[in-house]
Amino acid sequence: MSNTKKKKKKAMKIISYLNLIILSFLLIGSSCKKNDEPIEDQSGRLNFYFTHVVAEEEVYYDTIRYQNAAGNPFMVSEIQYFISDVTLHKGDGSKVLIDAWKNMHYVDSDLSDTWQWKMKDSIPPGIYDSITFTFGITEEKNHSLMFVNQPESNMFWPEYLGGGYHYLKLNGKWKDTNDVIRPYNFHMGIGQIYDQNSGEIIGFIHNDFDVSLKNSGFKVDNNETIAFTIVMDVNKWFEDPHDFDFNYWGGDIMQNQDAMFIAKENGYNVFSAHRMIEK
Amino acid sequence: MRRFVYILIFTGIVALFFEACKKDSELDVYTPTPYMIDIPFGFPTKLNIPDDNPMTVEGVKLGRYLFYDGRLSGRTHPDSLMSCATCHRQQRSFEAGVDHPDFPGGFPHGITGLQTHHVMLPMINLVWNHSGYGWNGFLYPDNPVEELRNIEDFVRLAVLAKDEIDGDTTITTALFQSIQGYPDLFYQAFGSDKVTFKNIERAIAQFIRTLISANSRFDKYMRGEVQLNQSELNGFVLFTTEEGADCFHCHGGYGNPLFTTHLFYNNGKDTVFTDPFDRYKISGDPMDKGAYKATTLRNIEVQGPYMHDGRFATLEEVIEFYSHDLKQSPYINPLMHHINNGGVQLIPSEKQDLLNFIKTLRDDDFMTNPAFSRPEKFPDDQ
Repeated sequence: MSNTKKKKKKAMKIISYLNLIILSFLLIGSSCKKNDEPIEDQSGRLNFYFTHVVAEEEVYYDTIRYQNAAGNPFMVSEIQYFISDVTLHKGDGSKVLIDAWKNMHYVDSDLSDTWQWKMKDSIPPGIYDSITFTFGITEEKNHSLMFVNQPESNMFWPEYLGGGYHYLKLNGKWKDTNDVIRPYNFHMGIGQIYDQNSGEIIGFIHNDFDVSLKNSGFKVDNNETIAFTIVMDVNKWFEDPHDFDFNYWGGDIMQNQDAMFIAKENGYNVFSAHRMIEK
Repeated sequence: MRRFVYILIFTGIVALFFEACKKDSELDVYTPTPYMIDIPFGFPTKLNIPDDNPMTVEGVKLGRYLFYDGRLSGRTHPDSLMSCATCHRQQRSFEAGVDHPDFPGGFPHGITGLQTHHVMLPMINLVWNHSGYGWNGFLYPDNPVEELRNIEDFVRLAVLAKDEIDGDTTITTALFQSIQGYPDLFYQAFGSDKVTFKNIERAIAQFIRTLISANSRFDKYMRGEVQLNQSELNGFVLFTTEEGADCFHCHGGYGNPLFTTHLFYNNGKDTVFTDPFDRYKISGDPMDKGAYKATTLRNIEVQGPYMHDGRFATLEEVIEFYSHDLKQSPYINPLMHHINNGGVQLIPSEKQDLLNFIKTLRDDDFMTNPAFSRPEKFPDDQ
């Protein structure tokens, strides 16, 4: 055998070995790979982004610069609340409850990671006429110790007053008729019925309510994510249909069902939805 | 022959494949025993344990020695010893307490006599604190300053601080390296017998994270094991109602058994704010002037003096303050909604009821738990 042939044969042998090694490494690579290939999503998704305004202006905290319908100058210090039971309504009357049970959402004006809610449940493709949600937590779900971690656990509503969780903590200060600045804690949750003679609590009233978002219809396709900005207009807690006067109701309402009832009635108009394009 | 070489190479590669897919835990390296924290009834499930310092049985054991060993100061003369336990006493819920033999009134000072800027905070249930350690929360997990994030950093700061141990980390590290028994404990905890200050920090932090108080009479009441008496129940109602004493918004209750939100409030102690170490220093928010952490009320009965500056020696004084002596300022937290009345206006029987309820938060099991106590012997003791 000539030297050239020998060299050629040797080169072929090396190439064969290299091929085998490469093939084997490919085998190793593919075997060790996690099964993380994305599965095509046969449904849509819904994201909410929360903002808080007073009369269309984003809330400027800790400064008395607003005035409510009752004429009270006021400021906002912090806003904390739960929304739950987001439901999509179709034209034929059918509805889809998304993020059922566990994934009620907590929003805290001090914690930016709570300002968005990317819902885990998928949405069947189709056309939806509107979105509703529960402000607060329904009686069925509002159980004490359901949230053991902070910040949600800081929203607990005392057992004596009905248990469960605050639906809303809206804290700030207002200026009374004598220009004295006073704190307010506009807190909503389970209301109490007090015996008029003994002052003992003899019953409870669940003040959660359903919010129907106007102009929230949408069409969603497979693999499409629909996003809405959910806007809370703080001033609307204090108007329409009832003017809420801090000078009359005072700064704390957890133990005042009449005041919480007004808050609830006003609350139907507090939120609005605005479709947004996510980049 | 060629076939033999192919088989040999292929076998080798298959063996390599299995080795490559092996999990770390299967590799032949020293692994200490994981320490599991049992979550008490109603307590949070999210723990503040940094990824680079997982809890281990061996780490906690070492941390306990270091916590109590006065040579943490880097000194060996009996007059110069100082450790965490010099100030943080178990029988006072790991605070100094007003009856500390060396710190009259519970005002601690460092080894050189320099007084600490604030009085102490208790070491209770810190594994559930996610919002900042210290009265102003200057150590917090997402602090851009990496050296100021967690309990580990507190250990280092305490060793270095002039008003605390006033030590030198290099000297302390070298000292423990030289003490018989410690290098072995470091090996067991961290897989290396070379003592580093980083591992000293880690071990002590691990021990501190085990200091869990969850067996007070109130805990037993929550679990349905005991009944509170009528005065205590009255106090509980006052504690958790807006029209009562309204303690719960900042200090928790049944739904937040940590008995703190771990947040910061201006609670109406003053009208002028000059302390350079209030919450404002950390947040930069002017509304945080004069704001400090709401401390846990667990074991508060033994944790005097009270407030960041220790201005109140007794709980009775604290209740009196919240009842009648609040001071208005532009920075008062809105949750202090009784401010315009000067306080919550409790009558004497209500003050007593509230006090009796707060005393149900005392956890004697915690304050006598042998697992948290000073070791009978240190590693180099015969």
